[in-house]
Order: sequence, then C-alpha cells, then structure tokens
Amino acid sequence: MRPVRIALTKGRLEKDTVKLFEKLGYDCEQLHNKGRKLILQIPDANIEVVLAKAADVITYIENGVCDIGVVGKDTIMEYGGSFFEVCDLGFGKCKFALAGKKGADFYAGHSEKTIATKYPNIARRFFNGKGMDIRIVKIEGSVELAPLLSLADAIVDIVETGSTLKENGLEVFEDIAPISARLIVNTASLKMNKEAVENIINQIESVK
Amino acid sequence: MNKNKLITPEGTKDYLFEEALLKKNIENSLRSVFHYRGYNEVVTPCLEFLDVFTAGVGSQSVEQMYKLVDSKGRLMVLRPDSTMPIARLSATRLKNEQIPLRLYYNQSVFSVNPAMRGRSNESVQAGIELIGVSNKKSDIEVLVTATKALQNLNIDNFRIEIGHIEIFNSLVSALNISDSTKEEIRFFIESKNFPALNDLLDDFGDRQEAVVLKTLPRLFGGYEVFDKARKLINDKKTASVLSYLEDLYKSISELGLEDKITVDLGIVNRNDYYTGIVFKGYVEGYGEEVLSGGRYDGLIKDFGEDLGAIGFAVNIDSVVKALLNSKDHSVEPVTALVFSKGEYQIKALEYIDSLAEKNIVTEYSLCDTLDEAIAYAKSKNIGRIDVVDENIKTINL
Repeated sequence: MRPVRIALTKGRLEKDTVKLFEKLGYDCEQLHNKGRKLILQIPDANIEVVLAKAADVITYIENGVCDIGVVGKDTIMEYGGSFFEVCDLGFGKCKFALAGKKGADFYAGHSEKTIATKYPNIARRFFNGKGMDIRIVKIEGSVELAPLLSLADAIVDIVETGSTLKENGLEVFEDIAPISARLIVNTASLKMNKEAVENIINQIESVK
Repeated sequence: MNKNKLITPEGTKDYLFEEALLKKNIENSLRSVFHYRGYNEVVTPCLEFLDVFTAGVGSQSVEQMYKLVDSKGRLMVLRPDSTMPIARLSATRLKNEQIPLRLYYNQSVFSVNPAMRGRSNESVQAGIELIGVSNKKSDIEVLVTATKALQNLNIDNFRIEIGHIEIFNSLVSALNISDSTKEEIRFFIESKNFPALNDLLDDFGDRQEAVVLKTLPRLFGGYEVFDKARKLINDKKTASVLSYLEDLYKSISELGLEDKITVDLGIVNRNDYYTGIVFKGYVEGYGEEVLSGGRYDGLIKDFGEDLGAIGFAVNIDSVVKALLNSKDHSVEPVTALVFSKGEYQIKALEYIDSLAEKNIVTEYSLCDTLDEAIAYAKSKNIGRIDVVDENIKTINL
C-alpha cells in the first residue's frame, strides 16, 4: 500500500510537528538530517513527509497529492480551499491583529482608511464585517514599516509577542482572530484510505 | 504580435489522442449505462439567461459564472451546471409528459475559478435526472445507477458514499437557533472542523441534539456507523431518517458491493438545495469526488411545477485524469500502409475500405515512390506495406 503522505509547513511548524512525531515514537532520523531532500521517509510507520511553504501545503492537500497537512490557521484563513480541518494541534499559537501607531485613534474621522498587509483576504473580510470601506496595500516584507512611513493608517498582521510592534512605536488596536497549527486532510483520502489516515490522526490527537 | 492566438484560456485544454479517446470511451460507457436503464438524452444550450441559475434554492454564485450580454442588454451565462436547465425544461416543455421523466445529459459546464489553483473552467459532466417521483424505489434506482456507472468504467477501486440531509436538518432545527448559527454549524461539519464545532456547540451543554451534531462529522465508514448512530439518536424523526438510510445501504449491499458502499452522516453540503439522500463517488488516484448527486424535491417548484427529483453527475475530466494515470490507454496503431502505383488510386482506396470493414487500421500513403513510402512506414513503426497495382502485394517490414 502506498505510504500516507504528510505535508509539513517548513520552519517552526515543521520543528513542532517533528517533536510530536518523536513523542509518537516515529523514526525521525531523515527529518533531522534532511540535507536538500524534499521528500523524506518515516520508515517504520509507512509515512512519507513532504516539506513545503504554507500556502503550498493547502494546494497539495486540495489536489490530493498529499493526504494530511500541517498548516497555520492564518494560511487557511487567507487562502481557504476545500479540505477537512480535523484537529487543532495547539502549537504555533499567535493571533491576527489590527495595529498602528501608538496612541492613534484608528476609527476617528470619516475618511477612507488604508491598510497594509500580507493577508489581503483576511483584512478585506474583517472590514467587510464592520461595513467599513478601506483601501488595501499588499506588502511582501516588514508590514510594520507602512504606518511608520505613513503609507497606511494601520496594518493587519500576525502578532506573536508584540515586541516588534513595541520597538517601532506601534500597538495592537484590536484582535482579529487567534491562530494555531491545524491538521488538514484531503477529502477523498479520508474516504478512500480511511483506516490508515484515521489511525495517524488519532495517534496525533492522543499526544498533542 | 498577439500571443493569445497561440494558447488556450486558463482552465481549458485541448484533448489529444489517448486522452481524447479515453474521454470518448468513458462517455460511451456512461451513455450505455443510462441508455439501457431507459434514460433519454437531452442537450441544453450552452448559453442561458442568468435568471435560470439564480432561481430560488438552486441559485449559484454569480461571481463564478461566465457572463455575456445579449442584443437587448439581458444578462446571459455559459451554463455552470446542467440540473437547472433540466429543471427549466421539465417545468416547461416536458410538463405534460408522462412521469417519471428519465433524462440524461453529457455536456460541458463552465465556471470561473481563481487563477493558478489547477482547476478547470470548462469541464464535461454526464449525469441523469429522475423527475416526478419521490419514493424509496426511485432513490434506490438512482443509487444503483450511480454505482453501476462507476463500476462499468473498470475502475479498480471506487467508493459510493451516501448520506441524508434530513439528519442534519432535523437535529439543527430542534436547537432553535438563528440561520447564521445554523450555517456556521453546517460549515464546521462539512469541513470536519472538530475544534470549532465543539466550541460552538458547547454553548448548548449536553442537549442531545448538540451531542449528536458534535459527533456527526465522525460518523462515516461502513455499516458500523448505523450501530453507533442509533445509540446516539433518540428523537423519532432523526431515527426514522437513519433507518431509511440504513435500508438503502442494505439494498445497495445486495448488489455484492458491500465493500464499495460507505456512509457519511456528516454530508451536509448545500442543505437548502438537497432534501433527501445525498451521495458522492470517489475513485483511487483522484483527490476529490468524481460523482455527486442527491434528491432535490424543491428545485423544480422554483420553475413553476411541483415535481420531486433526484439525480447525479459524473465529472468526466476527473475520471479521465484518474484512469490516464492508472492504465495504458494507447491509441490503436496503424497495421498497414497502403501504397498505390500509377493509376491504381481508386482501387487502393477501395481496398482500404475492405480492410476497414475488417476493423484493420490502415493509412493511405501519400508518397510518390515506394522507397519513400517504405521509409515513412519505418519512421512511424508501421510493420506492413500493401502495394496496389494490378495485384495487391504485401511487404512485411
């Protein structure tokens, strides 16, 4: 039988997931010494691990080339897609927040506000919910620069400890949503390969 | 230079050779399943008024349709599905026909998908609609037809999964909650999002309905699901829906396909559209359902006739993808090259006719000399040349 393929978001979520796998007693040797390999084996558990960027994890799961994925709720909220979101893994915790220059009153006045963000869909949905008209500027790098340079009135971004904001004279105006790592599953895999996939989900749930 | 003249629009494609052949074979296989069960083909126009697809319970996302404007300024769309046009047809031109109507279709549907997500904007769907009768016999007929449709495609590993929309609807209506909360619960069940579903339903304490709703997305699999569900469900209405579904499951199992049938009580998609059983088909090697259907008794009412209906559609392109990876589907090679000498052209072409009648694939050589024809045959791996002059002489290469 073909191995169950798990896509991991490279970086911190990957490390936390490997820790979880070790708790389950999986042989993570290849995951520690991966070199430049992109597909890694967990030999004793008939699992194949693929390392990918967050948004790509969703793409692989949606298209069914991977069965299970570990991805942040931030990516799910921004990109959406059709898959099962079966488990909150509890790590990778942070939040989406609206932030801007310390002491500024973001909601004051009637003029259209400009928001800088890496997450245009989340920003759009948040302000649609408030019935507010806004202009969104997509930024690829340090979003915090935008209000400092007066490009934007505020930013919508991931806030972990808040120290980057603080050091740059910014503060959180409002929390938008909590974020943590999620286990997602391809819809057809869960149906066609129920036993193997469910087995892994249950194991992960039992130690998370 | 205009580069667009050299490419196809995103989400569309050319079908060539093996793929085109496989697609045609799949279509023919489904056609014969439908035809021999008394279904008749209908072809609806590619262009319809937008209004057809925004009528009542079946209304679809306008953003996802290709829209055009006709000469009178009316909004038209490329059909995004075939069921709505067939509902229109059944309530108008076919309304005086003897029911049930058994209709099938095999045509393209169009939708605008986000760019670069690997989705098709044009795809072919084949399916049936059984219109005018809402009883158990009709549910079983359509379920069996769906199963046979997949089985007849010679797919090694497939599953038909059944559910019933009333299980969710009756549980959720007992909770007396707002439509938006209902929709949230429905969405969390559909995406099997256990954490969010639990958070939301914790507000209802240990109300029985809430407890069952929490478990609903886990209630899928084989026959054991019915045993589990029976223990949880104690209101009469939901229990009777469950035993109805169990009966259907048992009937399909009698086809000798127990291992191909599964049940998912957490199927809750489009719960305003479906009114009874819902089902999906999966095949090995494809990451989404390839078949989907259900009962939609409220739909045709929006077109003026109160007719119950049940149907399903198979996504042909998905099946092509699944089968193309798994099996060899090469086009039948050319057996013989026919070369005519001098004035024997018509004789050669008549000879080709006689071979075609024996199902031998030939090609008429357009070369001027026999040497050129031999070289051509070698380069195309054709093993035989039939040379036509007064006699017909075969050269094996």
